[in-house]
Amino acid sequence: MSTTALHRGGAIHRTRFPLLVKSLLDARFSLVTWAVAMLAVMCLYLPLFPAIGGSDQMQQMMKALPAQLVNALNYGQIASGPGYAQATVFGLLGFLLMTIMAVSAGAGAIGGDEESGLLELTIAHGVTRTQVVLERAAALVVRVVVLHAFILVVLLVLKGPSELGFDAAHAAAGVLMFALLVLLNGSFALLGGAIGGRKVHGIAAGAGVAVLGYAFNALGNQNPDLEWMHAVSPYYWAYGDSPLLNGVDAPAALLLLGVSAACIALAVAALHRRDIHGV
Amino acid sequence: MDNAIEVTGLAKSYGAREVLHGIDFEVPRGQVFGVIGPNGAGKTTVMRCLLDIIRPSAGRISVLGAEPRRADPDIRRRIGYLPGELALEGRTTGRRLLGHFADISGPVAPGRIDALAERLGVDLDRQARRLSKGNKQKLGIIQAFMHDPELLVLDEPTSGLDPLMQQEFLRLVHEARDAGQTVFLSSHVISEIQQAADTVAILREGRIATISTVAALRETAVSRLRVQTHLPPERTAQLLGGLPGLGNLRLETVHDAGGSPVCQASAEWAGPVADLVDVLPRLNPVDLALEEPDLEEAVLALYREPGTGEPVLSGRKSS
Repeated sequence: MSTTALHRGGAIHRTRFPLLVKSLLDARFSLVTWAVAMLAVMCLYLPLFPAIGGSDQMQQMMKALPAQLVNALNYGQIASGPGYAQATVFGLLGFLLMTIMAVSAGAGAIGGDEESGLLELTIAHGVTRTQVVLERAAALVVRVVVLHAFILVVLLVLKGPSELGFDAAHAAAGVLMFALLVLLNGSFALLGGAIGGRKVHGIAAGAGVAVLGYAFNALGNQNPDLEWMHAVSPYYWAYGDSPLLNGVDAPAALLLLGVSAACIALAVAALHRRDIHGV
Repeated sequence: MDNAIEVTGLAKSYGAREVLHGIDFEVPRGQVFGVIGPNGAGKTTVMRCLLDIIRPSAGRISVLGAEPRRADPDIRRRIGYLPGELALEGRTTGRRLLGHFADISGPVAPGRIDALAERLGVDLDRQARRLSKGNKQKLGIIQAFMHDPELLVLDEPTSGLDPLMQQEFLRLVHEARDAGQTVFLSSHVISEIQQAADTVAILREGRIATISTVAALRETAVSRLRVQTHLPPERTAQLLGGLPGLGNLRLETVHDAGGSPVCQASAEWAGPVADLVDVLPRLNPVDLALEEPDLEEAVLALYREPGTGEPVLSGRKSS
């Protein structure tokens, strides 16, 4: 993937992963914005746990709510620290924000770039289509990793004062499963854009997978007859075993990673098979 | 290897719609080869096939000795490409943008980018989105030329450029040819091809109507003839009408400088000048004009749909 070249005189410097570096440079401001948004969400919710999640009043309110609603919102464990962090940040608002981030990045990586006419000029240069997909997928991975590393740091700082009651290892496990879930949604978006050639195809694919995964998890929680839905819900793969409480579910983590990798591989194949469209 | 580009039987369909119907041409190394044709003739499609942006439905292509689809991507470092619809990222400066293209292109000699930018008069430190269409086009031209590629593929390169910059662009093309680079460029403006190219292919509705040198094209071109005489129109028509090289004769009565009526004959002339000179003494002209052959006329004739006689070209007048 490195750009070996016909250097004349060898004096000319060339970036090693030019497309990856470019994607990350382009994303640096949006990366900061997303980090600030996550920081806000975490600072807003987590310190409230001693007052809300753990309080007797909250317990009684949960008991008063219909069980279906509590299950649908994943609020069943809200009285415990891990359950509260899961229900508020990892399972809901944080999931939403990071999925939007990853889906929009994934959809823009190929589909959006092609739709705007930029991809035509890029692939007319000394790069392969495989390289374009892989370097841009790598940029997506880096974005997810950087943001979740930041989320982990914030979580480690807040978990003590917020009395969340899990250790650093479980915090890391929860963030890892969160990151893998977000990456999967973003990978589907990248694949959708690589097949369809437009950003909207990527958004539809990524958002569709995220929403269906969330819905299948909620429906599977409702009713034993619908529990099979858990098997096809990436959301359940990530969170079904409560990683903040029980640590990393290794098969589930590998499954999430494997599906993401498959999406990227299919995106490479898809882009190789077809014409690139200009403006 | 003598040819930079060899194309045989190139066809391209989008679904059921075939836009190229099997075209053949070759571009010898070191030549400037122009393709002209009305919008939608297939010029952009040909160029995209050369760069492996789109894949042909049939036919064979060889660019710098390799088939674009299977070639090592490094071959594209030896090509400079300017798309017909140039899209540039807006939120970055021209300098950063060109730096990125240098990373994924052939090696760029130090100072080359600044030298080109100075010649074309574009500010590299402004954000691309703040540049006019013409200035964006200049960035596109710089990224195509900056690594001094063996082959330049330029789709409507002067679009958006003012006449002064068009001249500067022509100088760049001539310098490239003098340096042994091959240039393949398209335009719907004949004057541009006329000034830049050695050979011209005329593309119409996905087929090559003709390939010819610019000089040969000019020879087939018709001249415009205008004669004023005191002879009566019938006699004028009789004298001129018998000439085989004459077409589209129109006669009208106009007034000369002194206010007296004269017969004016206008026609197209494509025959030997000697024939015309023979008949002139008998016409006893008071005024005579035979204009330089117009390449645009020659090309328009080739554009014309069989049967309709209507040109399907929209473009500037050639100078």
